[in-house]
Amino acid sequence: MNRRDVLALGAASAFSAPALAQNAAARTLRFVPQANLANFDPIWGTQYVVRNASVNVWDTLYGVDSDLMPQRQMAEGEEVSSDGLTWTFKLRSGLKFHDNEPVLAKDCVQSLKRWMARDTMGLMIRDLLVDISAVDDRTFKIVLRSPYPKMLYALGKNNSPMAFIMPERIARTDPFQQISEYIGSGPFRFVRNEWVPGAKAVFQKFDGYVPRDEPANWLAGGKRVLIDRLEWTVMPDPATAAAALQSGEVDWWENPLSDLIPVLRRNRNIRTDIADPLGNIGTMRLNHLHPPFNDVRARRALLMAMSQEDYMRAVVGSDDNLWKALPGFFTPGTSLYTEEGGEVLKGPRDLEGAKRLLREAGYTNQPVVVLAAQDQPITKAFGDVTADLLKRLGMNVDFVATDWGTVGQRRAVKAPPAQGGWNIFFSWHAGADCTNPAAYQAIRATGDGAWFGWPNIPEAEAKVAEWYAAPNLDAEKAAIRGLNRASLEHVTYAPTGFFLGYTAWRSNISGIVKAPVPFAWGVSKS
Amino acid sequence: MWAYIVRRVVATIPVMAIVALFVFSLLYLAPGDPAAVIAGDQATPEDVERIRASLGLDRPFLVRFGEWAFRIVQGDLGVSIFTNLPVVTMIKQRVEPTLSLMVVTLCLALSIAIPMGVIAAWKQGTTIDRIVMGVAVLGFSVPVFVVGYLLAYTFALELDWLPVQGYTPLSEGIPYWLENLILPAVALGGVYIALIARITRASMLEVLSQDYVRTARAKGAGQTSILFVHALKNAAVPIVTVVGIGFAGLIGGAVVTESVFAIPGLGRLTVDAILRRDYPVIQGVVLLFSFVYVIVNLAIDILYTVFDPRIRY
Repeated sequence: MNRRDVLALGAASAFSAPALAQNAAARTLRFVPQANLANFDPIWGTQYVVRNASVNVWDTLYGVDSDLMPQRQMAEGEEVSSDGLTWTFKLRSGLKFHDNEPVLAKDCVQSLKRWMARDTMGLMIRDLLVDISAVDDRTFKIVLRSPYPKMLYALGKNNSPMAFIMPERIARTDPFQQISEYIGSGPFRFVRNEWVPGAKAVFQKFDGYVPRDEPANWLAGGKRVLIDRLEWTVMPDPATAAAALQSGEVDWWENPLSDLIPVLRRNRNIRTDIADPLGNIGTMRLNHLHPPFNDVRARRALLMAMSQEDYMRAVVGSDDNLWKALPGFFTPGTSLYTEEGGEVLKGPRDLEGAKRLLREAGYTNQPVVVLAAQDQPITKAFGDVTADLLKRLGMNVDFVATDWGTVGQRRAVKAPPAQGGWNIFFSWHAGADCTNPAAYQAIRATGDGAWFGWPNIPEAEAKVAEWYAAPNLDAEKAAIRGLNRASLEHVTYAPTGFFLGYTAWRSNISGIVKAPVPFAWGVSKS
Repeated sequence: MWAYIVRRVVATIPVMAIVALFVFSLLYLAPGDPAAVIAGDQATPEDVERIRASLGLDRPFLVRFGEWAFRIVQGDLGVSIFTNLPVVTMIKQRVEPTLSLMVVTLCLALSIAIPMGVIAAWKQGTTIDRIVMGVAVLGFSVPVFVVGYLLAYTFALELDWLPVQGYTPLSEGIPYWLENLILPAVALGGVYIALIARITRASMLEVLSQDYVRTARAKGAGQTSILFVHALKNAAVPIVTVVGIGFAGLIGGAVVTESVFAIPGLGRLTVDAILRRDYPVIQGVVLLFSFVYVIVNLAIDILYTVFDPRIRY
């Protein structure tokens, strides 16, 4: 007797309500996301999990394909004036929001205004903006003070926050306040009354969605939905998620721990593969404001001594398919990838040389405050490896093992480490964000305005400006090579390596693609 | 009695007020920043600052506490910083799974632990007694999550008798509701069963040596009648006390159990809220738990009078 038999007996009793029809279950895709969908405003909250849920509900004017090239999505076409200052966009016909109202140009205008207030590229566009306005119901224009060649990429990129289109009344919400209506024009409707933050989110196929004719390719092409219902079930415990996938209670687990992959592979009903070919770049972030790492020699000492293999194995274990050394800052396998200036991270590690550099930098055994968020296994692993490395370098380590909420607060403190500040914290960046400087906060070195650690490296910033102005791919590559070299010379941050993750699904599921986002369109269940 | 109940209910008001002040102060002093969590890892310091200001987290302690206390008095627990949903709505969404888990665990624990304790006392010093006490020690010693994983592996993965995770509302039928609760209740009930079984045994041993039990035996009363009618009722006061005290442990255990079995209950809501520093939710849930605990203890006090009519309030 198994569970189905027990249930059948129970279901026959007078107490039972009717079970779900079998075919309805077959049209429901049960998905375990990487994290809890605690809020649902893709502009207000920029976590990846919010972005991943939002692509189901909201659509974009453009969408990048697997070559990271922007393709038309809601846009039927665009025109740019010969001086590059005026962009005119026309919407596809038949676009509808989930409340059956048509998508109009004024919705796009207001949505882009809200997005521009929060996104790095959006802010750049806003700084150049002369006018953004609707021309007619399906046409709007953006007028700039100077050309912005990356316009279509900005509107179609997959980095958070994405330029999602919402109804005008919703997009009027202050970008620093949450929206309270979740109406988009994407391929799924958000079923708000079934949303239990921390546990469940439900998306229903939107019958009014008209996909493009082209085949789907990441965010580009026709988003054809082959299921009726997408159920996100949040499972905080990886062992539980693994067991649920094995028992067939869920269909797709976005990010299984690499430690559990062998167990899953032993089950003949489960398939596993690399989830996102663009992977992730690990980060050891150094505080450039305070000793010892305000001295570039101390920062270089870490690069000389650190073993990326140690960091990567601490995260992915013994699976060599899941990591590679990264003598640079950009995502391997993408068009701008470079190892220019990366010699310091290659070859045997030089601990003695690093100790010498630390002495030259004037390090005198002051405590080095290392923040590690223990509730994030990746940063916890990075923290442990770093604490060991610093001790081997003869440094006095003050290892603050805490939770992400505390790290998030403390890393923003610019005061000296002894007064509540810090010297080192850890993070990781989605490889999709590190293909170029556009969405790559961590590579920027603008001093006070830079990401936590506040590096101030004018030489690197000059190369970023070169990239933005680059007229072609060769010029872009040259700029990025220079940026990589400058960032390594001055150690904007210490990259701990490039790592990938798996995704796992039941064998009756098909259509899952390798991508930075778990796309539900094109996925079917038999 | 009614005057006592009214007095006790009224006394919960200052207790809740102190709990509210304590929780609010603790959260204010604790490190962590919800704005940083909301903004995400890639946010700039300016973004975090703007969000903090928009949430009103940059205002003085007394202003924030005053506003919060004023709303609480009106029955408004506020709105979650993260979900933008009223805290009351979030609690309502989560009450049924937690309550179901508690009820099933309590029923399971009482129905197993009390006979175990009675039998152990009856067979004191025998192999049965040692086995029962050995099981109790095991129940105390093995953490809830270990029991949970073992149960899930055996009964869900290997035997396929029960589901691994999740919760089915009672409205979808008792069998569906129950099948999701059996494993979590057994896992959570382990410590509780051990606690009640041991106290039942100890209490029964004391009662069984009393003169009136010997009298009952001399009058020809059957063993079952002696154990469960004469002795158990008189041994009940300490047992009921332990059930009440153990309730707090049950709430704590539910946090772990709900995570292991992916039950969308109040325990998980609490953990998520703490990790994100979702202050209104933490405050709301802690107030609710405190209130429930106070009420459970009141119920226990009232039950004393049922089991021992000599007790008067």
